[in-house]
Amino acid sequence: MASFHSKTVDGGLVMRLSDSPYVDVFAYGTFIAAILLLPLVMDDPFWLNRIAKYLVFGMLGVAIALSWGYAGILNLGQGLFFGIGAYMVAMSLKLQSFTSLQQGSDTPVPDFMLWNAQPGAPTDLCCIVPGSWIWQPFQAQWFGMVMSVIVPVVISYILATAIFRLRVSGVYVAIITLALVLLARLLLIDAQPLTNGFNGLTDLGWLTVAGIEFDPYLTATYYIIAVSLSVVLILARLLTSTRAGLILQSTRDDPKRSRFLGFDVAAYQVFFFTVSAAIAGFAGMLYVIAAEFASPSFMDLTFSISMVVWAAVGGRNSLLGACIGAILINTIEASASETELLQESWRAIVGLIFVLVVLYLPRGLAGIGQEAVDWIGRKAGISGRSRSGRASNPSAAE
Amino acid sequence: MSNPALVIDGLSVDFGGFKAVDGFSTVIDDGELRVVLGPNGAGKTTMMDLITGNTRATGGTVTMYGKDITNHTEHEIARAGLGRKFQIPSVFRDLTVFENFEVAVTKQRGVFGNLRFGLRADEKQQLDQIIELTQTGDVIDKRAGELSHGQMQWLELGMLIAQESRVILLDEPTAGMTQGETYRTSQIINALKGKHTIIVVEHDMAFVREIAEKITVMHLGKMLAEGRMEAIENDPKVQDAYLGSGGIH
Repeated sequence: MASFHSKTVDGGLVMRLSDSPYVDVFAYGTFIAAILLLPLVMDDPFWLNRIAKYLVFGMLGVAIALSWGYAGILNLGQGLFFGIGAYMVAMSLKLQSFTSLQQGSDTPVPDFMLWNAQPGAPTDLCCIVPGSWIWQPFQAQWFGMVMSVIVPVVISYILATAIFRLRVSGVYVAIITLALVLLARLLLIDAQPLTNGFNGLTDLGWLTVAGIEFDPYLTATYYIIAVSLSVVLILARLLTSTRAGLILQSTRDDPKRSRFLGFDVAAYQVFFFTVSAAIAGFAGMLYVIAAEFASPSFMDLTFSISMVVWAAVGGRNSLLGACIGAILINTIEASASETELLQESWRAIVGLIFVLVVLYLPRGLAGIGQEAVDWIGRKAGISGRSRSGRASNPSAAE
Repeated sequence: MSNPALVIDGLSVDFGGFKAVDGFSTVIDDGELRVVLGPNGAGKTTMMDLITGNTRATGGTVTMYGKDITNHTEHEIARAGLGRKFQIPSVFRDLTVFENFEVAVTKQRGVFGNLRFGLRADEKQQLDQIIELTQTGDVIDKRAGELSHGQMQWLELGMLIAQESRVILLDEPTAGMTQGETYRTSQIINALKGKHTIIVVEHDMAFVREIAEKITVMHLGKMLAEGRMEAIENDPKVQDAYLGSGGIH
């Protein structure tokens, strides 16, 4: 097994090439170019739509890496924010659906509400079932889209403030978030007249912007998602390179030291937890646009845990690594599920991969990539430009 | 006359009946270097925990430059100008030495004020001086977790200097150091004299002789004696307290 801290070879004087900002720019640039150019080589709309969904999962990988890798907060309930984001936009798209306009009313009404309504209830969002008025503002598509991000932000802010002001940390945060996502799922299913319960929101309309309808199988829809992922990746990466991002990492390493340096640790944790939730909510919105449904399965425990597995395999300390991990595992999973033998055993295989990565590759695929870059750097005698602005001198290490 | 750096008045903490610190009082002047001595269990580290807000006091007050800081949160006390070095080196192990300094030198502590890139010129200048003083230039791009024990201690000292604390508490800064490393540490601390008010908890008498001006001896959570080195060494109360542990040496 390769050692990740090459103490002897570095001699401490040489900066790792993988620490160089140029390597990062190259890696992110290559990835973004790859996803943007993909439609040129893949003309099967079915697969393009599939990949679009995996890019959304890649965005979830970014959200997990930000909270788990950079902040040291293991959120086992990220599906809560993904699910909320998905439902918010799905409500709007449901009201835009053709069937919602055919329920014998001037205003759109979701079909399932009719099935759940008391006999004689007025066919209008105001009062067809108790609480259905909450759907009214979702008649505007922009409202659902904005709420996809705002509601996760508000909920995560309140939740994180409660958790981190009380200095809850480590496994307790994982347990609280895990319990919350299960609770939310239960409430969602229980509110059947409003949410269609187990069945979720299906038969949705298409995203319509300026009169253009975004059929999920259009290349344009793929581009909405690919560009969104690129922007999220770049912004998140920039955010982690700010001073605030550095301070956040310091609170992960030693919160006590950060406090004694004068930093309000909870404020940093709340901020980044909320950013992570916003990304998850945004991902939920994009997923609905590509998949045309929202379902309580988004809040299943297995889904939230899967996200953590993707990030671990890809490398939780790397936003790009976690993103690629998510895309890779899902692509392999899709191929595996078409083979009958693997269909059943796939979950076990993913579990095994997870265990192996945790044991032998704590930095995941990103760690392998960094090792490779450092190896090339040593062979070629190139080292990174140090943050401290001091020239590194490879020969001095001998 | 300026305010004293630190006024500790009747400071006490009660851990369910056990008084680790029991009515401890002292006044530390601006720019003073005070050494706190005491046998094991005298309450030295607990006293530091109380001053820095790490443990809540059940009685008494701590005033720093005229401002009451008793039982404030750690980050508020740190912002008021108090820095602390722990017994076990406490640095950000996954960050490089430079990044550790970068965090420490940040004077604007809020999240939104820190959504910025790079170092300001004044920060850079300050860090250059600290790297010089702590001689960490050779390991500046190493992860802090890979440093030797001594280097880690100097890094932590350097971070306190970067933080520009007016009052610095050092808890056994030479614990586990070789003789050479101890000497280097005493040089760093002597270089800080005058610019900062320093309180050192220490056992190593050779080191204490190297740096000490005024000494406070603690015993069973109380102040036992206070004065200059020679006076303390000849104090019969102090000799009694140390009898069980073989006297001061």
